[in-house]
Amino acid sequence: MAAPLRIKRQLPFGPWLFAAPGLLVTGAFVLYPFGSTLANSFTDRRTLVPGHFVGLANFRELLHDEMFWTGLRNSVLYILGVVPALVVLPLLLALLVRKNIPGITFFRSVFYTPVVASIVVVGLIWVWLLDERGLVNSLLESVGIGRIGFLSDQWLLLLSAMAVTVWKGLGYYMIIYMAALANVPRELHEAAAVDGAGPVRRFLSVTVPAVRSTMVLVAALSSVAAFKVFSEVYLMAGPSGGPAGEDTTLVMLVQRTGTGLTGRVGYACALSVVVFAVTVVLMLLVLRADRREES
Amino acid sequence: MPMSRRALAAAVVALVLPLSACGSGGDDGGTTDASGKVEGDITFQTWNLRANFKSYFEDLIAGFEHKYPGTHVKWVDQPAEGYADKLGADAAGGTLPDVVNVSPDLVAPLARAGLVLDLDKAAAKYRPEYLDAAWSSHRVPGMNGTYAFPWYLNTGPLFYNKALFTKAGLDPDQPPRTYDELFTDALRMAEKSDGKVATLANVPTIEDFGRYGVPLMNEQGTGFAFNDPKGVELLTKYKALYDAKALDPQALTATGESSGKKFLTGAVAMNPGSALDLGNFKKNAPGLYRNIGITDQITSTGHVNMYVMGVMVNSRTRHTPAAVAFAHFVTDARNQMSFAKKVAIFPSTAGSLDDPYFTKEDGTDETRVRIAAAKSLKNAVNYTPVLFSEQMKTALRNEVAKALQGKESPQEALDNAVKAADRLLQQG
Amino acid sequence: MSVLEKVRPGRPATAVAREPRVTDEHGRRVRAGELVWRYLLLLAVLALTVGPFLWQLSTSLKGPTEDIYGSPPRFLPGHPTLHNYARVADTIPVWDYALNSLKVAAANVVTNCAGSALAGYALARLRYRGRRVTTLVFVLAMLVPVEGIVIAQFTTMRELGLNNTLIGVVLPGAIGAMNVLLMRNAFRNLPYEIEEAAYVDGANVWQRFLRVALPSVKGTLAVVAIFAFMGAWDDFLWPLIVLSDPSKFTLTIGLNYLHGTFANDERLVAAGTVIAVAPLIALFACLQRYFFRGVGEGAVKG
Repeated sequence: MAAPLRIKRQLPFGPWLFAAPGLLVTGAFVLYPFGSTLANSFTDRRTLVPGHFVGLANFRELLHDEMFWTGLRNSVLYILGVVPALVVLPLLLALLVRKNIPGITFFRSVFYTPVVASIVVVGLIWVWLLDERGLVNSLLESVGIGRIGFLSDQWLLLLSAMAVTVWKGLGYYMIIYMAALANVPRELHEAAAVDGAGPVRRFLSVTVPAVRSTMVLVAALSSVAAFKVFSEVYLMAGPSGGPAGEDTTLVMLVQRTGTGLTGRVGYACALSVVVFAVTVVLMLLVLRADRREES
Repeated sequence: MPMSRRALAAAVVALVLPLSACGSGGDDGGTTDASGKVEGDITFQTWNLRANFKSYFEDLIAGFEHKYPGTHVKWVDQPAEGYADKLGADAAGGTLPDVVNVSPDLVAPLARAGLVLDLDKAAAKYRPEYLDAAWSSHRVPGMNGTYAFPWYLNTGPLFYNKALFTKAGLDPDQPPRTYDELFTDALRMAEKSDGKVATLANVPTIEDFGRYGVPLMNEQGTGFAFNDPKGVELLTKYKALYDAKALDPQALTATGESSGKKFLTGAVAMNPGSALDLGNFKKNAPGLYRNIGITDQITSTGHVNMYVMGVMVNSRTRHTPAAVAFAHFVTDARNQMSFAKKVAIFPSTAGSLDDPYFTKEDGTDETRVRIAAAKSLKNAVNYTPVLFSEQMKTALRNEVAKALQGKESPQEALDNAVKAADRLLQQG
Repeated sequence: MSVLEKVRPGRPATAVAREPRVTDEHGRRVRAGELVWRYLLLLAVLALTVGPFLWQLSTSLKGPTEDIYGSPPRFLPGHPTLHNYARVADTIPVWDYALNSLKVAAANVVTNCAGSALAGYALARLRYRGRRVTTLVFVLAMLVPVEGIVIAQFTTMRELGLNNTLIGVVLPGAIGAMNVLLMRNAFRNLPYEIEEAAYVDGANVWQRFLRVALPSVKGTLAVVAIFAFMGAWDDFLWPLIVLSDPSKFTLTIGLNYLHGTFANDERLVAAGTVIAVAPLIALFACLQRYFFRGVGEGAVKG
């Protein structure tokens, strides 16, 4: 980036200089490592043992790996559980904080705090809340429901982790919706109100169509994030992924197989390549759905 | 195209290459000859010891630097969690410290990768200073050397809650000693408390199989064997405990910390721990502290499990003499003894366990426990197979969980675990 | 990417408490009944979002003699004490760690704002061959699962001789692909006319960028800054791997250390989490006005 002030507007490599720092960092620390991950996925490399080329053996093994299918199931379940909630609830929240009633800026900022907090902190907080002796169970017991083992049952664990993801994501997607709602022309609402449409009908016939493309965007972002979920489940279900590893997600499996002194780096790389491929496909699917709707 | 992608790529390469060349230049330094002058800067890495023993290690290092002028020891301490991951990343990246606190199962993969100095070659003269069993605990099957100085030994006390024992009509002064006694007491505890108080918080680990008398590996050491009838028997009994809630329902997801918490809150009657826990009980659960009972590990073989810590020397250290001297210094009789007086661990040096500190009663509970532990240590066994990796532990744990949940029979579960472990062993 | 369409600036979100009547964003009056249920709902969500933090704060203020497991739970500490915070500081050098976190986060803010503004501008406004490819590079980079490439990143960093340095902590996230795309969208949403005038005046590309385009996307820049700060402050996995020297630890690593060593001590861990999260909440509270303005510019779209 030497002396950018001298760049004349015709100078041909000007654009490259602008993009260079970004490309350099992305190239060196994301794409290059990903390239070597891709290369390693065809080897039997281990943490301390250099690998040999094994062709597609890792990918073939994957198909027979029970844990892989468990991981895939959980990652897909995670999408199904989290995405609808993250598409709808933040929209409702955005509508709620939209009206400029006194104190609303306070509420908006506060609703955003879970997004600001580190996932490690959030994990610690929720593990403590959902502990068998934690606040939630104390409350449940005092109203006579009794204690529930949120952190010991395979499905409750997954549900709890999903709840945390939704809790932490609400504010983030609320903001996206607020930006979109700012564009809904108010004449539309007023016309609908004159027509005697109630709030529910106004929501369905005016608001939803107007922010549809944003809903698609939120669905895309949240499903990619949900498919790659790691921290929430790791922190709540523990490194081995809940009872009998039944709560393992794909990225957790990558982490577990590939790290440590005896990690199977080659196999873990093959798993990451699959995660990446599925993510790209997910993104493309959502974008296509979006394009179809627009046309 | 004014500036091609190729040119850009070339620029990146030009930037990266010289640096990487000088980065990997450090790899070939280091010799196995420890006889030179003890000098230079070395790094010493411990495993979760800073929080409680900061001053001990600072004094230790000052002592070494004083004894050998011209040396400088940098001490780093890593958190308990993820220690193997950290070692793996450092070893693969060539940034392993010079002197590293390890356990036998951690040293094995490092030694196989040629990253550990063979002490039978480099430091054989120190061998007589240590207990024979301790010295040989850092041997790796299939290799010819010894790869770490033995450091402290521990049997790990088993804590139990006397109040809960009394409530269940059990004699608080007669805690279970064998697995059969444990199973009887645990079922009774569950029955009397209506399933509210479990006796155990953890699923059986490989060490439990060992102490139950299950052969863990075949005689040649080439494959695992804990799926034999004895192993199936142990798992079947654990399943009965689980069904009766004598094994905590959350045991399947328990971690060391969560089971500790359960013991602290009186949901679980027994929990293995370390001497550090006593202070924690005193502070966080004074009620429990008054009722705390301490006993030896449950074992049906007459041998308790001994955890061995070691101190290895990186074979690529630039200052082999200093690194070896320091590793020896940390583990020598005098320093192990003073460490033992700080916390309830036991020295691995020859003769240290005959010190009055470990043999003479002075009437306090603490001393009584210490003496009992030192005695049981004399015929303790390190049941953890050196080649039992993290991935194998996960495989066993998951299969055990399936058996407890009734998704598989104990036989199937152990067969699967052995199969998975054998496969990993062959790949390793 | 058709979802990255243009968004009009939102209306400034100012409270209207001084006005005689409560009105909505269109200046219409809000009925009292509606107002009541709106506040009820807001308070319910408030309880859900800050409740967990407050419970953590309350736990951290409870002394050693107070029961923290009781049922029904006691929300307020009987004898509030800062003792647990002092213990955190005794156990880990929490202020050094906070300083390290601050350095990393500050550097991350600077590099991300500068780098992604430059790259975003090139992608949105400059014409050159390979622009689509460059865009694709950033989109793909966004999709790469970080957990899967962490070891490869570490090896790269080690080859550069930057492992165990704070620079090594910052570098991989120094110019986030997501931020580049955010800036690209922000620049794309600017009307061309603004720059055309400057172009006619003979301003070169750098001058147009610095004097015309950049000031118009301050809001998005604020969003990028907050994201960058949060990202660096909150990051856990990467610093854990790249740092080995405890004197260089960041706060999240220190927190994990604390949790690993004193897991049974809920009060201590709670105090640690409060220390980790409080600066962020404070920072966000200070910057939230710019942040929401950036949001109004459509910054988060995409």
